[in-house]
Amino acid sequence: MQPRTKGLVAALTGTALGVGGLVMLTVPAGADDAPVLPEISAQELVRTALQADPPAFAGKVVMQQNLGLPVPTGGDGSGAASFGLGFESARIFHDGDEGVRIAIQDLSAEFTLVRNADELWTYDSAENTATRLDTDDVEAAREQAGKPGPRRIPSRQPAEMADPAKVAQAIVDRLSETSTITVDGTAMVADRPAYELVLTPKPTERTVLREVKVAVDAETRLPLRFEVMGNGSTEPIFSLGFTEFTVGAQPERLFEFTPPKDAKIVDAQKALKERADMAPSPQEQEAMQRFGSALDVVGDGWDTVLTGKVPQDVPAERAHPDGESDRWDGDAESPQDLLDGYGKRITGAFGAGYVITSNAGSALITDDGRFAVGAVPVQVLEQALAK
Amino acid sequence: MTAIAWDETPEVTDRRHRAPLSRLVLAEVRWIFRRPRTLVVLALLAIFPPIIGISIVLAGPGEASGEAPLFVAAATSALSIPLGSFMMLMSLFLPLAVAMAGADAIAGEQSVGALRGWLVAPVSRGRLLAVKVFGVLAVALVAAGLVALTGLTTGLILNGMDGIITLSGTTLGFADGLGRIGLAVAWVTLQLLAVGAVALAISTTTEHPMLVVALVLGGLIVSQVLSVFDSLSWLHPFLLPEGWVAAMPQLMRDPVSLDLLGEGALRAACYVVIGLSLAYARIVTRDG
Repeated sequence: MQPRTKGLVAALTGTALGVGGLVMLTVPAGADDAPVLPEISAQELVRTALQADPPAFAGKVVMQQNLGLPVPTGGDGSGAASFGLGFESARIFHDGDEGVRIAIQDLSAEFTLVRNADELWTYDSAENTATRLDTDDVEAAREQAGKPGPRRIPSRQPAEMADPAKVAQAIVDRLSETSTITVDGTAMVADRPAYELVLTPKPTERTVLREVKVAVDAETRLPLRFEVMGNGSTEPIFSLGFTEFTVGAQPERLFEFTPPKDAKIVDAQKALKERADMAPSPQEQEAMQRFGSALDVVGDGWDTVLTGKVPQDVPAERAHPDGESDRWDGDAESPQDLLDGYGKRITGAFGAGYVITSNAGSALITDDGRFAVGAVPVQVLEQALAK
Repeated sequence: MTAIAWDETPEVTDRRHRAPLSRLVLAEVRWIFRRPRTLVVLALLAIFPPIIGISIVLAGPGEASGEAPLFVAAATSALSIPLGSFMMLMSLFLPLAVAMAGADAIAGEQSVGALRGWLVAPVSRGRLLAVKVFGVLAVALVAAGLVALTGLTTGLILNGMDGIITLSGTTLGFADGLGRIGLAVAWVTLQLLAVGAVALAISTTTEHPMLVVALVLGGLIVSQVLSVFDSLSWLHPFLLPEGWVAAMPQLMRDPVSLDLLGEGALRAACYVVIGLSLAYARIVTRDG
């Protein structure tokens, strides 16, 4: 072969191979071919999903949201970018019994939660801090401290599992009042065939949401993906789901935790007590109660609107024991600035105020401190406030 | 009779044609590591991790936090100094070392007339390129290995032998920790080889080694700038430095999270194939 031809052939094949490989990287893995699965009714799917026991598995969960909050006028837009592109991924390991490990990944840090039959540990690598709880205290502690718990694997009480068929029937009946529930085909989620359970609002419901989809694994009947779809977009407003899911025994050591040397170890009991010390003062509690009693729910189903009154007399700054305040620093934005940036001014039968719209719903705040929020168009909020 | 003589002659030439590849590679590697500039760059790379370690110790645990999150754990994990050094050095210094090697390998020898000897010697062009690739690979491996060695040593001195702690809060044995550093060295070497392959491809087209270094580093900087813009996210999987920063912390998780590392390795392999095929095409068509 002539050197020139040889060189040309080498250059062309090599470049084609390399560019082909790079293009392959851009294509998301697992192109969606809807798998063929036996037909199943919505009620049957809900029943089997309620009955399912999670097997031992390892998986990766990714959360994506596209709430589409408006860009604040006058800002540099970075705030809106961080709202719109919030992204989080976590790895989950489960031993099929009590053991769970959840690792929430940051660029170069990790928040780890390990739970087994006896204890629950959390470890924050950015702070190098480990926190321990007895598993018995976990439920109580989660209520009090608002700690993230192993939500994906709810611990089910035997009582509520008494008759899954009945529970499924009740759930389906309840939802059928305002929604159409269907098993709308199948999908591949994390390379696994899954049924798509779809909740669609009835035509009478005035909502900005189009449907809510839950992908249920065909084999294990675990929910693999949760998606909220809005009107006028094929991209979900919010999605939380597995991108990797492998059923199989997991190494025992993943469900045990020994804090590394030099780590700061927090006694959870003490932490809870500290939180109790920081409880709101009596006036604040009273204000909160008034705020709570002013809350009202207008409508039901998909067009539920929550209305209420912003408590005016709550002190804007809550003093810390060390005298510092955790509310707005000198140069931070005040609530009024935020409203000006994110909101749009409107007037109507309800009075005058600001409205903030997003892909998932809207919020209306009037000048005299009333507000209304819901997954609905603005008109519905106006009506709710005008009542 | 004549037929036999005809048979023997090519055989003799053929034997003379094939100098053993190992000897050529050894000569090339010896030649590279005798260059003062190679040694200076390697020495600078080697002292980088200890400098980071010392500055962390001097700064104290409180002030180290904030900017570089991987170094927050530096006071507690022996892994964060070698891996964090890779994260920082990958942005410019390590690619500089291989770009220099790639530039010297062909353009540099051309500029001082040394390549002429290679081209008239009974060595096929393909073998010549193979020798040069081995030379660049040797520089990449030694550079990555040196950073890992001094980094791990610094980390172990600061944190003790039982200080190999992951981001997930588990403590690793020495062998496991060494394995992870080995994986990091292999991965970084592959990425650097991709840079080197591009440098070699440019190197075959010019006789100005500075031009090769400038183009390679310029391309890297442009890639890194492009990867900042979200609006160009469709382009990002094509950029070689994509994931260079994010991949290293994956080795500090327990269990190791391999998807980013695998993706980066595949991307680097694609660049190696493209770079080397273009370099080959140019070098076989080149006139003596």
